[in-house]
Amino acid sequence: MAASDPDESLVRRVASGDPAAVRALAARKLPRLMSLAHRMLGEAAEAEDVVQETMIRAWRQAPSWTPGAARFDTWLHRVALNLCYDRLRRRREVALEGAPEQTDDGPAPDRGLEAADVGRRVSAALQALPDRQREAVTLCHYQDLTNIEAAAVMGVSVEALESLLSRGRRALRAALSDMMEP
Amino acid sequence: MGEMTPERFEELAEAYGGETARWPQAEREAAAALMAGRPGFAQAVLARADALDEVLDAWRPAPASAALLERVLAEAPRRRTTGLAAWIWRGAVGAGLAGACAAGLLMGVSLSTASGGGHTTDTLSAAMGAYDGDTTAPLNTSAIGAAA
Repeated sequence: MAASDPDESLVRRVASGDPAAVRALAARKLPRLMSLAHRMLGEAAEAEDVVQETMIRAWRQAPSWTPGAARFDTWLHRVALNLCYDRLRRRREVALEGAPEQTDDGPAPDRGLEAADVGRRVSAALQALPDRQREAVTLCHYQDLTNIEAAAVMGVSVEALESLLSRGRRALRAALSDMMEP
Repeated sequence: MGEMTPERFEELAEAYGGETARWPQAEREAAAALMAGRPGFAQAVLARADALDEVLDAWRPAPASAALLERVLAEAPRRRTTGLAAWIWRGAVGAGLAGACAAGLLMGVSLSTASGGGHTTDTLSAAMGAYDGDTTAPLNTSAIGAAA
């Protein structure tokens, strides 16, 4: 497994303070982590905070990183998801304290859909999913993790992952059916 | 690997989408056999899953900003100079600082001599400014190390 980790040599060079490796790893991981955090949280600013904290932990981890059962990318996903869950938990606590609920400001189905509107609708539909279903869809569909990698990141069996994916995609289909070709 | 049932094919499309390359590796061969044997059924199932995939792909999250990249790079590990290189570097910095201080003092003395000491404070501030500039990077690095 270690030999097949595409980040291994880069992480080793980062640990030695190689500036080119630092930039290369940041360039490789920032878009990926931003995609993950934005889809989990639905907000770009919060996503950037999560990405920054994740990368700081990556820099700290680099010197002691020992390739083992998990790939570096998988570890990075786990860290970012934990940080996302911290924020989602805090949001729920604030909501319980009486903050007004967010409303879906997506356009009516009969209105022409601009690209930004489509994005908003999809984002809202994803945010409406239970967290674990959103996590499963994000990891497999958007982050292109295999079922085995995604199940490992989530700490569930492959069967449980598949169940979360099915339920998540069914809910998304129901929410977005008017946007799909007949 | 046994034959895949149509129901299982539908389950996989429902869970993993219309692109069979994303399906579990262990089931792709059986799925391909079913597609070859029942192309009409398979295409209909995959098209339905594709339609959802396309809508999901229409949402592109915000790209990572340049400011985020800068913040991330600012926290990254720095190369530590060790051994002979570090000794030479420290020696060079020390000599530079000593030179700057000496130049500052000489300048201060000459200016104070010429103008009765009115510019001495400014000259020392300038010399200290050069010193501060030299020490900023190591101070930041150690602060990051402590934070880590």
